[in-house]
Order: sequence, then structure tokens, then C-alpha cells
Amino acid sequence: MRWIRHLSAELDETAEVLGGKAHGLVVLHRLGLPVPAGFVVTTEACRAFLRDGRLPGGLDEELAAAITGFDVVSVRSGAAVSMPGMMNTILNLELTSAAAARTAVEAVFSSWNTPRARTYRELHDIPHDLGTAAIVQTMVFGNRDDHSGTGVAFSRDPNRGANVPFGEVLFGQQGDDVVSGSSPTLPLRDLADREPVVWAGLLDALSRVEAHYRDACYVEFTFQSGELWLLQVRPGGFAGAAAVRVAADLADEGVIDRHEALLRISPHHLRHVRTPRIAPGEDVVARGLGACPGVATGRVATTADTAVRMAVDGPVVLVRQETSPHDMRGLAAATGILTARGGPASHAAVVARAMGKPAVVGVADLVVADASAVVGGRTISEGTLVTIDGTSGEVVLGSPRVVTTTADEPLRRLLRWADDVSGDHSERDEADRLSAAHAVLRR
Amino acid sequence: MSGPDLLVLHALRCVGTAGLTRLAATTGLGEPDVESELIDLAVAGLVTRNADFGVWSLTGSGRAAHAQRIAAELESAAARPAVAAAFDGFLVLNPELLDLCTAWQLRSADGVMIANDHRDPSYDARVLDRFADFDRRAAAVCAELASALPRFGRYQTRLAEALGRATAGKWEELADSTSSYHVVWAELHEDLLVTLGIPR
Repeated sequence: MRWIRHLSAELDETAEVLGGKAHGLVVLHRLGLPVPAGFVVTTEACRAFLRDGRLPGGLDEELAAAITGFDVVSVRSGAAVSMPGMMNTILNLELTSAAAARTAVEAVFSSWNTPRARTYRELHDIPHDLGTAAIVQTMVFGNRDDHSGTGVAFSRDPNRGANVPFGEVLFGQQGDDVVSGSSPTLPLRDLADREPVVWAGLLDALSRVEAHYRDACYVEFTFQSGELWLLQVRPGGFAGAAAVRVAADLADEGVIDRHEALLRISPHHLRHVRTPRIAPGEDVVARGLGACPGVATGRVATTADTAVRMAVDGPVVLVRQETSPHDMRGLAAATGILTARGGPASHAAVVARAMGKPAVVGVADLVVADASAVVGGRTISEGTLVTIDGTSGEVVLGSPRVVTTTADEPLRRLLRWADDVSGDHSERDEADRLSAAHAVLRR
Repeated sequence: MSGPDLLVLHALRCVGTAGLTRLAATTGLGEPDVESELIDLAVAGLVTRNADFGVWSLTGSGRAAHAQRIAAELESAAARPAVAAAFDGFLVLNPELLDLCTAWQLRSADGVMIANDHRDPSYDARVLDRFADFDRRAAAVCAELASALPRFGRYQTRLAEALGRATAGKWEELADSTSSYHVVWAELHEDLLVTLGIPR
């Protein structure tokens, strides 16, 4: 077929043709891991669609042949370059005819050119004529029965880099509920007790993808009636101290050599090493997304007005479900900001960065009520002392120990290797030590 | 047309507790006019002043009176369908504006998000250019709103002014100051929710 490829271990094409997501699915097939059956309409078909304003000739016939044997499917976008959340996804599509498939593929291809997607590409130097692939895959249902669910998993902890699986799981629900943050999730570890077979399969999958990519990996998975399915894989993507620890550990495990470990860390990863962090080992009651780095300790205020009033007597952490213009005075008065909703581009995150205040957003198990909040199952009243870490997204009660990453053992290890490479053991800034090693390694 | 008393009442409902400067910017009225409206509203028991901080807020009955009057305004102008349609347009634009503010504050370097230190004029010019493009599409939504309810016209003016100041070199007017494009946009968001009676 000219425009369509069946997803299988034998498929031998690049991410440029298949898109990154489908390319990852082929890797999962090759590793012998369970992937729902599917096919991909190539980026080339998308480029033809964008150029001519209609799907290319011959695709209709190919779709009619390809949909044989499929019943309910998802149709997802997937370009060669990741553009998270920018394009359409169609779930639970009943593939009754080639026309239904055609309409869905057109919808995904058209979403390449929404103004928001165009803006994203302008800002990230992604060519407008690249196009996206469309992946048509049998739906698996995390909401099928008591032994179904969905989740995301990292092969190592993305906050600290420790070599333990990390992630979130939702029992009895579909995948988009995890990604959208619309339902509170449980720690990945809960799978071990409730679905030991799924858990064992997931651990096996994480170790195989890590061995393949020779890097920490992220996967999205669903289990249906006790059977595990992998829906996406992505290597790397860790930042800061976690990236440093993973690179140093992989070198010590013999997976990569020390030079590669050094080259995997950008001096930009070290930019925040002097930013304070909550010390490891503190009792983390909840976790969200770090939106502005730094640690803030203060008494909880749940409205802008109380934040302003309480700030007269000392530091305040403004705790809100989400922020609105009503909160501007409270945000200005607060030392740190904690919200239940929102991502790194939410109103609260934008304002926190504008004001240079540590912020944690998108804490799924935070509920703010009148003059109190429930965090990670514990009720805390207004005035309670809390600490937030705007790098890791951690929330701790009271005032925990605070450290900087320069005291971090993996970083010191990595920088010793850097000095060995550059031959310069003088006292310098961390980023300079790494840059000197890079200069030698890239010579 | 909304009278100045309703404009001030509505501004307080949309921005929460606020001082004269903020209310003047939001309503487009002069500070003395805002203050005189506030005093009349306070006599009617609808607003109250916090003397410690010199700020005003709605009372319980002020909230109730506002809800009733703003709903009456929408119905008497038969503007609900048009405002609701424009709100749909707003919701399409909203994530893009937040992307743009984020891109102004942070940028990706070697796959790591770092603070934009504004030392790369070509990157900043690109973001500004996208803001200008965005503003043209935002202006179309604001124009729809203004033709349904004239008080919405104020947002188009304020957004254009913020962008103008940013383009003239006051960079904090995009995402960082209290008169920034982002803050005005967030106020418009709140206004639409309040006007249509949609809970957050």
C-alpha cells in the first residue's frame, strides 16, 4: 500500500514517515510487548492532504482494505516531532465503513493547521510542511470491568532519578482521564497488590524498553480484564537532578559509557542546581507539577483576601483550586502558590513565574474548601504551615530540610568525570565544568 | 447601555477586591468617577471598603444585586446567543494565549525548559509576532462581543494598548505586569463566565 502501513515488528520505516508515536509502537512490537492491533496513515499522506486540500487518490481504497477486522478504534495524531496536546484525538470510533475512517483521518490531518498548532510550531522551530501521521488502533477499555484500568509509568523516578518505577494508575477508567488530570490518580505501586499479573508485565515491559533505548522511558498503558496493553513509549525527557542521576547511574550500570553520560546532560540541566529543593526523604503528602522553581514555606491561606491579611504577620502559601483575576492581590501577597488544577501554562503558573514565586500546580488530590483544604487525604486548616517545592512539585507539611543539588552525590560523580575529560580540576561553576568536558568530547 | 454604577459593580464582581486604580483601568472611567459610584453603591449597601488596605469589595447583597442586574442586562439586549457564541471562540483562543505567555517566560534549550533571559532578540521577536497575530484573532472575538454588549468593547482597547506598550519595549506588558495582556485576557475570561452565569 502506498499511504498505509500495518503496525508490526517487521515494519521498517523511519519516524519521519510514521511519526514518532507509531515508530515507538513498532519498537514495542519488536520487543515482543503487547500492542493493540492497528495501522498508520503516513505523514506523506498528510503532506498531500495539506498541499491539495483533500486526501490523496487511492487512500479510500487502501482504507477500505485496511479496516477489515477492526471494530471500535481510536484515531490519534503523531508527528515526527512531538507536539503534545496540539492535535485531535478521536476515541471510541465505530469503524463501520471506510467513510468513517476517512472522516476521522481528515479531522486529525486538519488539526495540524489549527492556529494554536501553527503558533506552537513557529515558537519551536518546527517546519509547517512536516505533517502528522494518523494512527488507527483497536480500542482497549480501561473501563471494561473491575480488572481494567489505565495509567502512565516511568522506568525511573522523574523527580529524583532513582531506579524505581514511578507513575500513576486509575482503576476502571479510560486513558484520557489520567492525561487530562480530571480524576485523582493512585500511585503506580497500587497495581502490585490489585493486579499482580499486570504489574509483573509492566515491570518486564519497562525493563525491556529501557534496555532498548538505553535510557529511562515513559509508557502509557491500559489493562483490560486483567490483560496489559502498551499504547505509547517515549525515551528520556528527564530534567535537572533526575537527568543527572539517570545518566550517572546508567554509566555505572555499564549501559552507557561515561562520555555518553556527560554528553546526555546539557549545561542547561545544571542551571537550577543552586535552586533550593526539599531534601530527599521528607514526608511528601501530595505532588503536582513544579511551575516555578524554588522552595516556599508559609501558612496556608485559601482566599486572596485572607492571604493579604495573613501576609502582614509572615509568609503565606496561597492554596487555591485554580486561580482567577480575583486572586491577583493574594498572589502578590503570597510567598508561594499551590493549585489543584492547571498545567505549566495555566493562569497560576504564568503569574507565579511573572512574580518569581515558587509554585506547584495541578495537584490532583487537593481539594480546597472554605478556610481549609484536603491534601493527599489530610485536612489542613487555614494557618497550617506547609512547604512547596516548585522544581519537583512536592508538598510537605511543616518546614522540612532544604538543600541545593550541588550537594547531590550523582552530580558530584558526573562532574568528576567531566574534570577527568577536560583535565581541568580548578574550582569553577558546575555548568562551566560540564561545558569544558563537552568541548573536549565534541572536538 | 450599562450605566456607570453597573460597570463599577460588575468590575468588582469580575476582579474581586480591588482599589480605585484597578477599577478605573477595568471600567475605563476616571478614578474620581469610580470613587463617586462606589460611595453611592456603599450607601445602598452593595459594596464595602476595607480601610486598612484602601480596597473595595462586594457585600452579600451586592453580589445578589449584581447577579440580577447583569442577567437582566443580557436578556434585555437579547445578547445571550451572541455572547455564548463568542465565548466558544474565546475558549478556542485561550490555550493558545497561555502557550504564548509561557513561551515568553520560558523557552526550550537542548530539550530543557529554562527561563527566557531575553538575550535572543530573534526569539523574542518571533513570540511578539505571534502575539500580534493572536491579537488580530482575539480582536474579532472582542468585536463580536462588543456588538452584542457594548461594555465588552473595553477589552479590545485594553488588549491592544497592552500589546502596543509591549511592542514599544515594555516587555512586562505581555505576561508579567498587572496591566499585561495576560491579566486583561484573564479578566475577560472571568467576565464571560460571570455574564453567562457559568460557575468556574
